[in-house]
Amino acid sequence: MIAVILHVARKEFLQIFRDRRSLVLILVMPILLTFLFGKALETGDLRSIPSAILNEDDSPESNVIATAFSTYGEVQLQGEVPDREAAYLSLSEGKIKAVIIIPKGFMKQIEAGEEAQLQLLLDGTDNNSAPIVEGVAKRVIQRYNAERAIKGLWAQGVRPDRGRRLIQPVYVQTEIRYNPGLQYLSYVMPGVIGLTLQLLTVMLMAVSLPRERERGTLDQLLATPIARTELILGKLLPYFVISLVNVATILVVADRGFGVPVVRGLPLLVLLCALFVLTSLATGLLISAVSHSQFQAVQIAVFYVLPVFMLSGAYAPIEVIPDYIRPISYLFPLMYFSRAVRAVTLRGADFLGIWRDVVVLAGFVLVFVYWAVLAFRKRTS
Amino acid sequence: MDCAIETTDLTRRFGAVAAVSGLRLSVQAGEIFGFLGPNGAGKTTTIRMLCGLLAPSEGTARVAGVDVVQDPEGVKRLVGYMPQRFSLYGDLTAAENLDFFAGIYRLANSLRRERVAETLRRVGLWERKDALAEHLSGGLKQRLALACALVHGPPILFLDEPTAGADPPSRQRMWDLLYEVAGEGRTILVTTHYVEEAERCRTIGFMHQGRLVGGGSPEECKGRFTETLLEVDAAPVMQAAAALREVEGVTGVSVYGRLLRVFTRPGAVSAERLAAILTDRGAGARGIRPVPPTLEDVFMSLTRLAETGAEDR
Repeated sequence: MIAVILHVARKEFLQIFRDRRSLVLILVMPILLTFLFGKALETGDLRSIPSAILNEDDSPESNVIATAFSTYGEVQLQGEVPDREAAYLSLSEGKIKAVIIIPKGFMKQIEAGEEAQLQLLLDGTDNNSAPIVEGVAKRVIQRYNAERAIKGLWAQGVRPDRGRRLIQPVYVQTEIRYNPGLQYLSYVMPGVIGLTLQLLTVMLMAVSLPRERERGTLDQLLATPIARTELILGKLLPYFVISLVNVATILVVADRGFGVPVVRGLPLLVLLCALFVLTSLATGLLISAVSHSQFQAVQIAVFYVLPVFMLSGAYAPIEVIPDYIRPISYLFPLMYFSRAVRAVTLRGADFLGIWRDVVVLAGFVLVFVYWAVLAFRKRTS
Repeated sequence: MDCAIETTDLTRRFGAVAAVSGLRLSVQAGEIFGFLGPNGAGKTTTIRMLCGLLAPSEGTARVAGVDVVQDPEGVKRLVGYMPQRFSLYGDLTAAENLDFFAGIYRLANSLRRERVAETLRRVGLWERKDALAEHLSGGLKQRLALACALVHGPPILFLDEPTAGADPPSRQRMWDLLYEVAGEGRTILVTTHYVEEAERCRTIGFMHQGRLVGGGSPEECKGRFTETLLEVDAAPVMQAAAALREVEGVTGVSVYGRLLRVFTRPGAVSAERLAAILTDRGAGARGIRPVPPTLEDVFMSLTRLAETGAEDR
């Protein structure tokens, strides 16, 4: 049994190594994908929205406001625009996403005790940036109002510290445990790692049996006394070994390129990655066992691999998925994998913290491999 | 003598279509048995059942004493199978292919190396052992496939058109090998389209539409030829053929260059009558004489008879 499995694995290795171009692809693609996905999602995290200021008032007070905006990292001031026409133009050209307008008479109205206005001109196409600029503006104005009120009270003899408490009696104090920078990247990187590991393994495994079928070699194989299990495990083994190489490189990229703390929980991470790779290989095998042709196998694999990212909580917490769709999320091994990896990298969880996910992943492997063997047996007899 | 292969009412249906029906076959140990028949006659399906690749719908078959229905995996250990289509790994070398199959048949490491080298030499592939299989010529590919079916030393070999598309020297080489292998006491069941190859077999079986319609040694087959065969030299030849096909009692006309081979029901039409008909139709016969049937004639006749028989049913 073992000897035959190793013999099949040796043949698969020979074939993989003979096809140099594919081998390079198999080894380089995961690094590239992790890097690209990570970079793409990292910039989304910066949330620095290119904005401009239209200072129609050009008074000491309006200048205070304009400068205040530049202290917030969320807006990236690209300078001033001369008039409203220029503001509309640069907005429509997409060069900037927001214009902060301080209308003429701003200071006069404040001095006269009238209600002064700060106007925001926002580009609504990008639904992310508008609320961010709005939030910044609100904080700028709140602070400005508070400072003015404190100054006003001081003029009436109230000391500034007391004045501050009068104006703002309640504070919210936040303490963020785990991922203190609230970086989206830290949340999403485990999903990116899983997605990358999954993409190739599912695809490579999915075409493996249909390829033998199309070449006619399956017929020759089945005419020998080889057991279906021996054939399937012999095919799985080489891709598992190659995937472990990919696990190593991906973890290095995640650590060096994106600051995912890999070293601390390394044994657990390797365990999770290895198990997850096995679930992906087993999924690919199942697709392989039920497909008539390589083309069909790729089709099924694509339909599996694409929705996974959205539905498995890798991209956003599964709590945002509607109730009636959420049960589907639990069918994807990626969900358990990214949850467990997040626990290890962000919370520093130990084995006791993730054992449930480990058990579920192991269960997936056993069920899928068994199912694949059954399906393959049925299809070939 | 022992029966290497014996089938009883072997039947395989695909949906409503019976690819093989009620096949009774017995092949003696150590003989080369030739399986003849047009495409779709059920030869490949029969072989696949006998190899344990396909379960019969009905009937039984014993191959090397093992029941294919009860123990298909047991059969696989005792047979070598060479499919019709090239079914080896093109991206592996000849030696790697052979080594792979030797390993799959569970040959121990030391024995395996020995057998691989020995088999490569035997089929004349030793010099090309490091060439990728896909780079080998058609004839060499077929010899490599034979080697893969032979490497574990099975007592029975199933070869599905082992010389299809090969040039005459390659075919000669293949048959030399087959005689050598049979000489070691191995039984070979081979399918072929080439009637002259069938002449080389000790026993032949004609298959038609899933049934065995005739069999025996090539001589026996010719001896059992039930029709009368006349060689007709007439011109213009196509016009003569058309005229003869309409004659009552003539069952078939084959054109061979300037000559016609005319099959008639025994005693139904005389040579004189045929000559008269031909003169009548402006295709005068220079000569009409009875000739002994070749295996091809027997094959054509059996196929035709089976077809009329099928229509009668």
